[in-house]
Amino acid sequence: MSERYNFSITTFSPSGKLMQIEYALMAVEAGAPSVGIKASNGVVIAAEKKHKSILSDESSVSKVEPINNYTGFVYSGMGPDFRLLVSRARKIAEEYYLTYHEPIPTPRLVQQIGFSMQQYSHSRQVRPFGVSLLVAGWNQGRPYLFQCDPSGAYFPWKATALGKNYINGKTFLEKRYSDELELEDAIHNAILTLKESFDGKMTEYNIEIGISNKDGFRKLTPEEIKDYLSAIL
Amino acid sequence: MSILEYNGSAIIAMIGKHCVAIASDKRLGIQAQTISTDFRKVFEVNSGLFLGLPGLATDVSTVERTLQYRLNLLQLRESRLLTPRSFMYMVSSLLYERRFGPYFVEPVIAGLDQESYQPFIATMDLIGCPMEKNDFVVSGTCSEQMYGMCESLWKPNLEPLELFEIISQALLNSVDRDALSGWGGIVHVVEKDRVTTKHLRARMD
Amino acid sequence: MDFGTGAALPVSKPPLARQFNPYTSNGGTILALSGEDFSLVASDTRLSERFRIHTRDQPKTYKLTDNVVLGCCGFHGDVLTLNKLLAARIKMYKHQHDHEISCSSLAQMLSTILYSRRFFPFYTYNILIGLDEQGKGCVYSFDPVGSYERETYRAGGTGASMLQPLLDNQIGFKHQNIPEQDRPELTADRAIALVRDVFIGAAERDINTGDGLHMQLVTKDGIKTLDRFPLRKD
Repeated sequence: MSERYNFSITTFSPSGKLMQIEYALMAVEAGAPSVGIKASNGVVIAAEKKHKSILSDESSVSKVEPINNYTGFVYSGMGPDFRLLVSRARKIAEEYYLTYHEPIPTPRLVQQIGFSMQQYSHSRQVRPFGVSLLVAGWNQGRPYLFQCDPSGAYFPWKATALGKNYINGKTFLEKRYSDELELEDAIHNAILTLKESFDGKMTEYNIEIGISNKDGFRKLTPEEIKDYLSAIL
Repeated sequence: MSILEYNGSAIIAMIGKHCVAIASDKRLGIQAQTISTDFRKVFEVNSGLFLGLPGLATDVSTVERTLQYRLNLLQLRESRLLTPRSFMYMVSSLLYERRFGPYFVEPVIAGLDQESYQPFIATMDLIGCPMEKNDFVVSGTCSEQMYGMCESLWKPNLEPLELFEIISQALLNSVDRDALSGWGGIVHVVEKDRVTTKHLRARMD
Repeated sequence: MDFGTGAALPVSKPPLARQFNPYTSNGGTILALSGEDFSLVASDTRLSERFRIHTRDQPKTYKLTDNVVLGCCGFHGDVLTLNKLLAARIKMYKHQHDHEISCSSLAQMLSTILYSRRFFPFYTYNILIGLDEQGKGCVYSFDPVGSYERETYRAGGTGASMLQPLLDNQIGFKHQNIPEQDRPELTADRAIALVRDVFIGAAERDINTGDGLHMQLVTKDGIKTLDRFPLRKD
């Protein structure tokens, strides 16, 4: 009998919470750390990419993903869910470009992705996404940094950290952040924030960095990351 | 006879020095019979951004309303004004959505960019193939006449008053050699800080 | 013959309906203006058919008498035939009446010739220029079946719709609010300059108009052919 009815699994608990959302957020908190910092002339996003086994080929896994020429995503949480959101965001961005022949404004992209994530919090036969996103964008001459949660809520940040040890990361950023920060310093700070909770040796292969500025969004190559790391160590 | 010529219309847009102008006739007819001499076919969709829709009158209203709806929704959602060029692509994609059952309008777009104040004019065919120009564009039932007038009268760097005079002369003399358009005209001149709208008296025959 | 062997009879194809089309358009634009003591006819020199150019050197003005010129374009075959016919009729007139035919009589004659072909017309746009009995410039414009009218200016051919409104404006002073007595008289020099301007515009937009501009000026001294003015060749 019960198979004949479909209920949304995200129903309110007596205390007024959506437990599935809470659990999704816990999945995020358990995920590998990521960090984003907005600078005066750009924005940086970075994430830790550590592998369970030394046998895995880390060059084939990517956590920082470009969406269009000016926007990039990074996440904490579940990789497969992230990849679905990335492909969706890319489609939204391309459709916008096709209609208006200009890159999608970052707030608009975040709004649409947030809308999409919100639908998964009250639809049948689905579960919420197990990821929080960090969105780095450059639009109309200014940088943007957004966080987008499994509930569909999104927040603009000057700097923030997600995933394991995010509280320490945020405390660290609060101490290091200033409004005059330039992109180069922001990249350093992002690496240092990741380093706060990093187990073992940080190399150019187990972190990823993406930057967005007036020239667009791009991922830093391992060689560039190596240069930043050697400047820090 | 083409459906585009069922109601009759004439629209011109021209670029001047730091300004643009768009002019249209006012006639609405059913073939040779005049129904109205005060029919609007140029619309100010944003302040300083004009859309001219010559063609089948019923599609003029539908396209204008659909575009205004989409533009308002977009501008609310993004809390910003669309640039004239982006608006052109918006019109273009609306028309191409109906690739195999088109709206019978051949739009003209004229405006100043809200930030750089660069003049912009463009036109497209009824399925949305856009064409940006830096002199003048014409569309409507007497396009040949308007081409002839504009080709001889237009010159670069016209001041707003000269631009008004030239676009008006081009329109009035063109529609007088076309039975389907005319019956009065309207001209909008867009400058950085103002839009001047003037109504033209014309032959009513 | 097939006597019911059961095989299907071959189905013959229905005859294809094909019709000979006796006309084609060879493009070209003509323009005529008249002033107090002169008249002027101009044409481009391109002879074309659809998207092809037959020649870049075919003026479409034809000298009929010592002071009458015909601008004639449309279907070039008809243009040639009409001119041959006119030449013969002008000669016959001279033999019968012992004097050269006047411009107004020639206009009436052309009208009669065109109307004689009412149901298989010459596909030609005609504009006749010359001087009238008082020595004033005159322009007669015709439709392909002979309806005609004396005017002061007229454009004809594929680019006519581009030229005509500008002539209305610049020579007819339409929409200019200048009182009749204050309007400047049209001089030959201004007429020539204006003709060049409007033909540049027509050559810009009409693919069947271009290559060169040919002008003939009629005054009391006779017909003068002006220097060829180059137009767009594409």
